[in-house]
Amino acid sequence: MSEEKKAYNKPLPEFRPETKPFWEAAREHKLVIPRSRETGEFFFYPRALSPGGDMSEDIEWVESEGRGKVWTFSIHHMGPSKAYKGEPPYVVALIEMDEGVKMMSNVVDVDPNEVTIGMEVQVVFDDVTDEVTLPKFKPAG
Amino acid sequence: MSENLPGIQETRELLKKKKVVIAGVGETEQGKIPDKSSFHFLSEASKLAIEDAGIKKDDVDGLVTAFSLVEHTFMHCTTFADYFGMNPRFFSSVAVGGATAVWMVAEAAMAIASGQSEVVLCVRGDNTLSGISSSGMLALIREMCHAEFEFPYGLTTPGGYALAAQRYLHDWGARREHLAAVAVTMRKHAADKENAMNKDPLSIEDVLSSRVIAEPLTKYDCSIISDGGAAFIVTTEDKAKELGIENDLAYLWGMGQGYSHQYLTTLENLDQIYNAVERSGEKAFGTAGIKPDDVDIAFLYDCFTITVLLELEGLGFVPKGDGGAFALEGRMEIGKDLPVNTHGGLLSQAHLGAMHHVVEATLQLRGDAGCRQVEDPEVAVVHGNGGIVSAHSTVVLGNQPIN
Repeated sequence: MSEEKKAYNKPLPEFRPETKPFWEAAREHKLVIPRSRETGEFFFYPRALSPGGDMSEDIEWVESEGRGKVWTFSIHHMGPSKAYKGEPPYVVALIEMDEGVKMMSNVVDVDPNEVTIGMEVQVVFDDVTDEVTLPKFKPAG
Repeated sequence: MSENLPGIQETRELLKKKKVVIAGVGETEQGKIPDKSSFHFLSEASKLAIEDAGIKKDDVDGLVTAFSLVEHTFMHCTTFADYFGMNPRFFSSVAVGGATAVWMVAEAAMAIASGQSEVVLCVRGDNTLSGISSSGMLALIREMCHAEFEFPYGLTTPGGYALAAQRYLHDWGARREHLAAVAVTMRKHAADKENAMNKDPLSIEDVLSSRVIAEPLTKYDCSIISDGGAAFIVTTEDKAKELGIENDLAYLWGMGQGYSHQYLTTLENLDQIYNAVERSGEKAFGTAGIKPDDVDIAFLYDCFTITVLLELEGLGFVPKGDGGAFALEGRMEIGKDLPVNTHGGLLSQAHLGAMHHVVEATLQLRGDAGCRQVEDPEVAVVHGNGGIVSAHSTVVLGNQPIN
């Protein structure tokens, strides 16, 4: 069955040198989170130097199990642009990862009204274009 | 204690000595005004403030502007100096989002205290409602949130505040009515403000049943977008006398900033926001030598209803978590415990950052607020917040010199 992929016209991330490993891993359906080798502390979003007092450039990418909890969320009834026409309601959430960092994402594969603060979620990968895969989250279980 | 914060005593002595004041204010009409450009509003507001002070354009030797959401400029302050036809000795563009207008007062005061300028025009104006394109609106949220790690998930500007609001409701067991009450009070106050855009009565029920934008926020939890300009003149008491300014003066008693985060992704918890609000207040109150109880009127940044509750609590006017009840009991109304935004704020008057908050605080302290006048206010606080409750600024103003 050949189905034409609908053109994706929503905003896409523009990779920077220091964030590229994250997006490359996502394309392979892996979630990686940066950690300072000097302090062992995770941080997110990715930066070239650890945002801690160490200011270390010695950063490792650690593969995550992709599990976390919804820290807060908002059901969007209006998107930011015409590209989102027909999409709302959708859930934008801050996910508190088991690693301790937070990630903004969408909670998918669930009725938006079922989403709650504290809900356990698991990463899923949305291949929105050939180049870009967005990590999203669905209820764990 | 805040009196022991670094720099507090020195700043206090400096403000006592210099007696920095707001000596003139100006506001253009506000609303949908498609026949005026951003720089037209800036010029008109400047003229009004200069005329209100009763001085000549040439008496102004300093300029603080901000930015435009419509006419993007590399150097906003000097672009305006050229347009308006002035030759300032000191110029600066302040760009900390909604914290800008409040920090313009501080920027001007610091320029005056360090001898860079004597009479500073602070001005903002923009044709945001008529002039901004849909791509401009999109650029705004793209710049406020993280372009790579937040923006691709469809976050909107109201959505960012909704994330904070949802967590607030969760942490304090608050309800949407508590948020709605803020919008209701602002609307009540706007009814008596000549140039307010939205004056029709608004009930809690109206807010709750209006169109949901980003849960838990509805249309009326969100501020309006408008065209217009506003300006104020910052100088010293001595210079004001020398120039023959007859207005009662609003004296600067203290100022402070507080930073929480830029991107919500790096927000650990609500306390991080409270701490930033508190830090800005602590420095401003400490310099002024006052406590929250001494404040007669407050001007709080109300781009969304949630920010007012976070600021009421963060500045110490009410205990954390009690802001909603305070709002719902009508205690922010004129004549009640702590009148807040007597001009109707961003939710009902107009949106030009906190420019109108500074103007109204000055008018109230002068006793020039007409039918909105609060009885003999002596101390006013103005708070601005930029980004998604990320950058905070507070000033304390008094109707007498700081003592």
